[in-house]
Amino acid sequence: MGPLIYSCDIIVYIGIFGIVCLSLNLEYGFAGLANFGKVAFFLTGAYTYALLSQIGLPFYLCLIASALISAIFGLLVSLPALRLRADYLAIAVLAFGEILRLIMKSEKWLAGGDWGMAVSPIFPYMGSYLLYRLENIGLVFLCLFLCFLVVQLLTNSPYGRAMRAIREDEVAAEALGKDRSRFKAQAFMLGSAMAGLAGGLYAQYLQYVLPGMFMPMVTFTVWIMVLLGGPANNWGVLLGATLVEIFDRGTNIVKDYIALPVDPSNLQYILFGALIIFVLLFRPRGLLKESAIRTKALRLAHNARRAVKNKGSQ
Amino acid sequence: MQEELLRIKEVSKHFGGVYAVNGVSLDINHGGIYGLVGPNGSGKTTLFNIILGLHKPDQGEICFKGKRINNLAPHQIYELGIVNSFQLPRLFYDLSVLDNMLVAARGQQGDRLFNSLFLRGRWQNQEKELIKEALEILELVELAQWAFSPAGELSGGQRKLLEVARGLMAKPTLLLLDEPAAGINPVLGKKIFQRLKDFSHNGIAFFIVEHRLEILFDFATWIYVMDKGRIVIDGEPQAITDNPTFYAIYLGEE
Repeated sequence: MGPLIYSCDIIVYIGIFGIVCLSLNLEYGFAGLANFGKVAFFLTGAYTYALLSQIGLPFYLCLIASALISAIFGLLVSLPALRLRADYLAIAVLAFGEILRLIMKSEKWLAGGDWGMAVSPIFPYMGSYLLYRLENIGLVFLCLFLCFLVVQLLTNSPYGRAMRAIREDEVAAEALGKDRSRFKAQAFMLGSAMAGLAGGLYAQYLQYVLPGMFMPMVTFTVWIMVLLGGPANNWGVLLGATLVEIFDRGTNIVKDYIALPVDPSNLQYILFGALIIFVLLFRPRGLLKESAIRTKALRLAHNARRAVKNKGSQ
Repeated sequence: MQEELLRIKEVSKHFGGVYAVNGVSLDINHGGIYGLVGPNGSGKTTLFNIILGLHKPDQGEICFKGKRINNLAPHQIYELGIVNSFQLPRLFYDLSVLDNMLVAARGQQGDRLFNSLFLRGRWQNQEKELIKEALEILELVELAQWAFSPAGELSGGQRKLLEVARGLMAKPTLLLLDEPAAGINPVLGKKIFQRLKDFSHNGIAFFIVEHRLEILFDFATWIYVMDKGRIVIDGEPQAITDNPTFYAIYLGEE
């Protein structure tokens, strides 16, 4: 495979994980929910896609189902889990992800157990690996764009303001009329839907699913992307996804061209660990800082104030 | 006969073996300014937290507008019209001062998931009005120039002011204020109380914990004195200042 195909491959990955990052950003960046079980919903989406496409549903219905079923799982998990304190929530959903993975691993009748199952791709192979990837880039980035739009509109509205308020101080927000359980459950549900959509795209792009693809490390990789890029900034987390993917896939590709003394894939976890420490030490709020709430009315008010100030200083 | 706005009957709450609030009964009427005074640890803030639904009382009954509110969640109590301003400001520090105000606004169209995405025109128009209201209140507490700065950049006194302003933004029927004048310069403190009085003419009732008695007693219509979890005396400010028990409890003088 040539460098061009490799680059396209990285871009597909950036798109898919960009969607997962946006979903974690909605939950953690804006609503303050430490979802350490992201991979559970990614897995749900991927297996939903695999199983439904096997029985012959068209791809768009499979993708919608991936999102829907993950959303339902998200809601079901969130109802008991959101009653827990933040740190217990993290552990509960982390365990949930592992349980799902182990179920898929041991229930061989369902989806092939450890060996996984083949998934038919949306775009059939037309004699060109490059074309296959370009088609996927188109589809993945269309989905990414839609998710970005939803998260961006949502977080720049009174709804997003309430969400951020709950993240800052949930007791004060509750005393100001914000039903925190409703906001948290909705954030969890929407986030899970997006992760499920990304899982569906992932399964069809790789053309197989197997439990080994859904190790807890996936969750942590997404966390690194979000923390690096800047929680509560949608552009930031996409930047994080891009940088981490280039690093992750890039090191794997470089070793095909350059003889290195060590296999970089073995070093990756160490490097990721170091990266997280550096980010938290030197840029605890990520590369891009939280984006302020932007609404039409706020912009008008801000401009009016600036105009008054300028007049005063003349 | 006019019904009491808030009626508290025989409410108790204990933590471990200690009764923080012990059989408290009191009434609050529309448009009154009620003071709650007493030594530190006498249960004033706990009583506020019980009214707000942050603590569940062990015994007793709390009725607001004739409706029992004992087992309601804090956000439901807000919906009914009780709003609080915390003793130690609990602001949303990463949000701007104006956004802090807007969070508190009542009846927002846009804080529903569906509306925020699909009925954008509706809440955007509402938000214009709310911003106007918010800026007026901020003007009043001399914070308007900070409207677009993060609340985390405010000084201690300013945070307190924003906490009070946020309570007013919520258009309460009953506003609980926990030491609103603490850490605020006397001139501004008086000005705020003067303003609260204007609001009370519009029917808002205030229930105020305050150690700055010289300000509180000027404005309050009724004072409750609390000690060791009980209401020991209550009356008009003049009667309280003349009461020797009050001196013994509060000022430690014989």
